[in-house]
Amino acid sequence: MDVVSDLHLQAGLGHVEVWVNYLNTTTADALFILGDLFEVWVGDDAYPRNVSPQNFEVQCLEQLSAISFRLPIFVMHGNRDFLLGSAAAALGGFSLLTDPCVLSFGGQRWLLTHGDALCTGDTAYQAFRHRVRNSAWQIEFLAQPASVRRQAAQEMRKQSQEQQAKNKVDSSKTDLDVNNGLAMEWLQAFKADMMIHGHTHRPADHQLSAGHVRMVLSDWDVNIQNTAASPRAQVLRLSAAASSAPSSPGTVRVNRINLLTSSATP
Amino acid sequence: MSNPQVELHIEELGVITLELDADKAPKSTENFLAYVNKGHYDRTLFHRVIPGFMVQGGGFEPGMTQKSVGAPINNEANNGLKNHKYTVAMARTNDPHSATAQFFINVADNGFLNHTAPSVQGWGYAVFGKVVSGNDVVDKIAAVKTGQRGGHGDVPKDDVILTKAVAI
Repeated sequence: MDVVSDLHLQAGLGHVEVWVNYLNTTTADALFILGDLFEVWVGDDAYPRNVSPQNFEVQCLEQLSAISFRLPIFVMHGNRDFLLGSAAAALGGFSLLTDPCVLSFGGQRWLLTHGDALCTGDTAYQAFRHRVRNSAWQIEFLAQPASVRRQAAQEMRKQSQEQQAKNKVDSSKTDLDVNNGLAMEWLQAFKADMMIHGHTHRPADHQLSAGHVRMVLSDWDVNIQNTAASPRAQVLRLSAAASSAPSSPGTVRVNRINLLTSSATP
Repeated sequence: MSNPQVELHIEELGVITLELDADKAPKSTENFLAYVNKGHYDRTLFHRVIPGFMVQGGGFEPGMTQKSVGAPINNEANNGLKNHKYTVAMARTNDPHSATAQFFINVADNGFLNHTAPSVQGWGYAVFGKVVSGNDVVDKIAAVKTGQRGGHGDVPKDDVILTKAVAI
């Protein structure tokens, strides 16, 4: 099965081809998308399907839907597309997963999460998150006309970019990456072995303790230089080796598949 | 053969001049000009406006009554013209060859609308011309406040009226 995140799909951002190609050719038997499939999502009703020309997002969902006949697709909310709802899931042919959730695979328990909730050092973001993940806030937001919501989303994005610029120069800011202590607490609370998440766009494996690894997914921005140290459009593939007795754990092989060659893209 | 031009007079906002590509999109150009010369577009609305995407018109009168149209035309999206910002393309239903009178002006480079394959999914939208004057008017249309109206989404709250379309 394949695990990806942080596609940040949006019209004009140019990495759709790599993604569509991947969807059409993957040999995985399940696909997990751990958040930020879309760069922005202002509510299912803002992307109607029975109009033409269709929005870009609708086209993306239809592409997913076509693949979903071949392999089941599971999608988790990210910090950009946390308003993805049941209508989007129906159109896209996928199931929505709660964040976090546990996957039992190959005799191990994998804690799947987008990752933003674990970046406790980013206090400005956590305050924002607390506000917008509140159902009262969401109900009020979704009641506004789509055009107003789109404007608001643009404004939020601008503020986020300004905050990120401030964070870079603020020496009092503690590490903005995932807090390893909290990650370990989550693994213990969920009795899980491994954690897989995205959000930080810093693909790597972090050994938290014996038998506990935090695996980070890449993003898919092919316009940023793809290097060996910092790959983009990378797929995490979990393969369960056959096990003779059902009770023995078997082994899980984890491969990181780079869809871009290192000789970068135009 | 020089390319035909059409002026779209937009109430209170100004004039958009389109240059049609009769060479690469002959059927769409001929079809569009027929509707222009018949006066079909006079007093129609830009009824679907999405900033960062496109502005669409040519099909509804004020009050959102749909106008009657002629026979559908073949999709010419495989003519090599791309849905770049400020190009004009034929709108249609999911049936690739269902375009009649409605058109839209791209307000972004909408590459995902281009033809990729002669299939229902890949046909794309036929670009048949571009804006040669009045980009600012297009931008003003794209910026109007929109909302739901009678089951249609993204409808300008205050009517954006194409008072008349003239071939020049």
